[in-house]
Amino acid sequence: MIDIQERLRQIGPLDGAPDDDLLVCRCEEITKGEIRRAIHQGMFTIEELRRYLRCGMGLCQGQTCGRLVKNIVAAELGVSPTEITSATARAPMRPIEMAVLADDGGAAHG
Amino acid sequence: MKTKRYDMIVIGAGPAGLSAAIEAARQGVRPIVFDENARPGGQLFKQIHKFFGSKEHRAKVRGLKIGEELLAEAEKYGVEVMLDAAVIGLYPEKEITVKIDDTVRHYKGDTILVATGAAENMVHFKGWTLPGVIGAGAAQTMMNLHHIQPGKRVFMLGSGNVGLVVGFQLLQAGCEVVGLADAAPHVGGYGVHAAKIARCGVPFYLSHTVIEAVGTEYVTGVTIGQVGPDMRVIPGTEKYFDADTICLAVGLSPMSQLLKQAGCAMEDTKGGPVPLCAADGKTSISGIYAAGDVSGIEEASSAMIKGRMSGAAIAAYLGYADEKIQEERIFELGQQLGTLRQGMFSPENRGKLITKTDEGIGVSMHLLEHGSVADDEIARYPGVTRQAGIHPVIECTQNIPCNPCQDACPKGCIRIGEKITSLPAVDAAKECVGCGMCVASCSGQAIFLIQEDVGPGVGEVTIPYEFLPLPRAGDTGTALGRDGRPVCTATVVKVRSSPAFDHTNLLTIKVPNDMLMKVRFYQTQKGGMGL
Amino acid sequence: MDKTADVIIVGGGIVGCAAAYYLAKRGISRVTVLEAAKSIGNGGSSRNGGGVRQSGRDIRELPYAMYGIRHLWPALSEELGVDVGYVQKGNLRLGKTPAHLNKLKTLTENARSAGLDVRMVDAKEVQAICPYLSEDVIGASWCPTDGHADPLVTTLGFYKRSLELGVRFYTDAPVKTLRKIKGKIREVILKDGTVLEGENVILAAGYESRFLARTVGVDVPMSRLIDECLVTEAQPPMFDIMLGTAGADFYGHQTAHGSFVFGSDCGYEEVTDMEDPSQLATNSMTLSASCRAIMGYIPALRDAKIVRSWCGWLDNAFDGVPFISRVDEVPGLILACGFTGHGFGTAPAVGLILSQLVAGEEPVVDISALRYDRFTPIR
Repeated sequence: MIDIQERLRQIGPLDGAPDDDLLVCRCEEITKGEIRRAIHQGMFTIEELRRYLRCGMGLCQGQTCGRLVKNIVAAELGVSPTEITSATARAPMRPIEMAVLADDGGAAHG
Repeated sequence: MKTKRYDMIVIGAGPAGLSAAIEAARQGVRPIVFDENARPGGQLFKQIHKFFGSKEHRAKVRGLKIGEELLAEAEKYGVEVMLDAAVIGLYPEKEITVKIDDTVRHYKGDTILVATGAAENMVHFKGWTLPGVIGAGAAQTMMNLHHIQPGKRVFMLGSGNVGLVVGFQLLQAGCEVVGLADAAPHVGGYGVHAAKIARCGVPFYLSHTVIEAVGTEYVTGVTIGQVGPDMRVIPGTEKYFDADTICLAVGLSPMSQLLKQAGCAMEDTKGGPVPLCAADGKTSISGIYAAGDVSGIEEASSAMIKGRMSGAAIAAYLGYADEKIQEERIFELGQQLGTLRQGMFSPENRGKLITKTDEGIGVSMHLLEHGSVADDEIARYPGVTRQAGIHPVIECTQNIPCNPCQDACPKGCIRIGEKITSLPAVDAAKECVGCGMCVASCSGQAIFLIQEDVGPGVGEVTIPYEFLPLPRAGDTGTALGRDGRPVCTATVVKVRSSPAFDHTNLLTIKVPNDMLMKVRFYQTQKGGMGL
Repeated sequence: MDKTADVIIVGGGIVGCAAAYYLAKRGISRVTVLEAAKSIGNGGSSRNGGGVRQSGRDIRELPYAMYGIRHLWPALSEELGVDVGYVQKGNLRLGKTPAHLNKLKTLTENARSAGLDVRMVDAKEVQAICPYLSEDVIGASWCPTDGHADPLVTTLGFYKRSLELGVRFYTDAPVKTLRKIKGKIREVILKDGTVLEGENVILAAGYESRFLARTVGVDVPMSRLIDECLVTEAQPPMFDIMLGTAGADFYGHQTAHGSFVFGSDCGYEEVTDMEDPSQLATNSMTLSASCRAIMGYIPALRDAKIVRSWCGWLDNAFDGVPFISRVDEVPGLILACGFTGHGFGTAPAVGLILSQLVAGEEPVVDISALRYDRFTPIR
């Protein structure tokens, strides 16, 4: 069980860092500062950050930034990165055109 | 909906996937292997260097040749391989969807083996999104598969085997490698890989990190700085290099997305999310297996063994082979894997600073901190002896599982013994005939032939040479020391090439006698090498 | 940990977070939200197609659907301090056959009688409103005050703002049972044994509300049903209206980001069964079926690349409309579930109404049609 308010108290207020403008999610252009700010607003999980900021929602679906985001969350929360659960993975594993996906032989009319 | 069903679906035609399919096919299983690339073999075709290990691990064979052999074996056993076929989903009941041309096809497997490998990590520093910042693996693909130079002046970040090996391949491709840095205080990969590039003049910057990729539209330079134990840059230690490419060799993470979609129990490790697997690759879902880098980053040699273990397990699971017999086979393969996982770089030693070899000899700290063994350290090792007449000098100074040098010598000059991690020793009692097979067989390019007093006050040293254009007899140039610094002038005596040497040329140069234990590389008069 | 509260809300989805917000906003300070998952909004709140609509609804939902769009959605971004992506550019519900059009006509007439500004439009007008639509569309209902928003940010926006107002949130806190003390709801007992006490308990936990309501003797007549969605990569701006169909074969919109979010199905969803519902496994057929449906209406999207698909559980009320009501036989217990896959757009209004129920105030609109005990046997 995680007591969000208590956790927020523990991690303390957000202070600016010199690398806040560093891009973390290249696909969606999300910076380190945006991620840190969101964590201090109560977004402690990778899923919440993804949904709130779109980091990990781009073309590469977090392949590039996933690890980096985890490290940032771990650093802000003061835990090991292995304690942060990764995002889920869903099909399609590569971006695919609608017309191609539509052609899978499944339509009733053939 | 009609879908085609197979005994065994393998996702990924790299070393693990193909090995698994072959192993299972040998028992009568009919696998199908899907790969999203245009050619199979995974990482193998990029790996133009010679592998380590022992004969059973294909030591001294180049990765791309191993890839060809694997493909031939797959064909021999009738393994169906579909290329340009990206598996885009792993659904309940072990069903996959595959993109083939402009359609999607459904397949079902009684078993599924996920062998999708790993992808490169990134680090972020100011400017990391500039064109010119690429992964070392990407650079390797560009050079070795597409024959394109990734850049002209490259800075490498990462001193693990990938950074060191790709660094060397960049030199072979004619790039200038302006430096190699790692935030860690010690070289992470094999000492012999570091030594190969150090003697070419690549400077090592341990305890350094990249501060900034400099440039506006693309990389024009890189700034690095020294870090303290807290990994923060120490002010005043900044160093700038002109560069057009920054290669990142900072580790790999498994591409385990299909396993996650399927609902396999996963573990969030330091190396990324890996499926919880038994030794034979069995995941938490009955009939789904994982092998190769996707189940934990190692290297191609391990991937092939793990693939075979999964193949054997799958053959038993499907009832094509006797369970007991397969268990024995898996055990046997496990032993082979165990041999690879020994020595200084074994998983259990990760993160530890090993200061003495198994033999009790001090590990070269200069090698760990600067990438080359110091002149006053080299004599410690059993591969380094002083003899009259031509003899090998083996500068293999760390316990790694590797022994092709022992078998290479027709005269028995080189001894490693049963334990393949032992340091190679040169037996002064045996007579070396200077054939050079040892020099060519050493995957680490760590063996040299030394002959004192070839003429008055001069001797000859033979070095492994894998650069083009080849120097010619009579050329003069500069001999470099282990640390890449110029030592003296040298004249080329001869250059030997032979199919038996497998593209490792033997370059013999003449230098003063007292330089024989210093010089380990040769640079042409113009100061360049490579294409 | 303070284990007593004025209100305990079970379920950290948008309904729970909105209720928490409106409660805190009106000064009810001791509010506790319990979320079973590690992430807020992990259920339907983050999985739906983002419609903020009045048209195409059962008339019982219209009063509060309209209230929300008139009074709450327009200022929501400002109020929550985050851009919820609310776009009010209208909703076309498309028909390709006369049967479709009849269905739409009936819905439209009913809605108009409830005061909604919705009307039928012909093929020509459909093309004028959205030239990207297929020529096969022969008509539609058109509601100019409908629209869409970002469900992920809206849910987390309510959460964030509630945190700022002092609401207590606990994640990874699944509830095992409720307990009445002296005839009134009082205890909420977590699976880990922690006992919390509240004057009021709101069950806003989707289908899981059913298990918990049963622990105090109330069965909520709903079933569980899977639905799937997909998202494309960013496309150049094409249209900003909301789309739906009479045939219920797809619905969706283009986001400010440029990506299209669509929901659809293949027919297998009603019999989809998962050993572990939290695995949320999509089936192998729906993604392709969805693409066929979408391309049948928006041919221009044939080359749009799909980046991800996902699914979510609907809490499917027996008659298709939610249970938003006090539970008279369990004083203090309030139900807010059974939104049957269309709860996102009405969540702010529902949250406000829930805060009114707690405060003993008359709700801003009549919700008596959504009583928890409205089920009557068919014979």
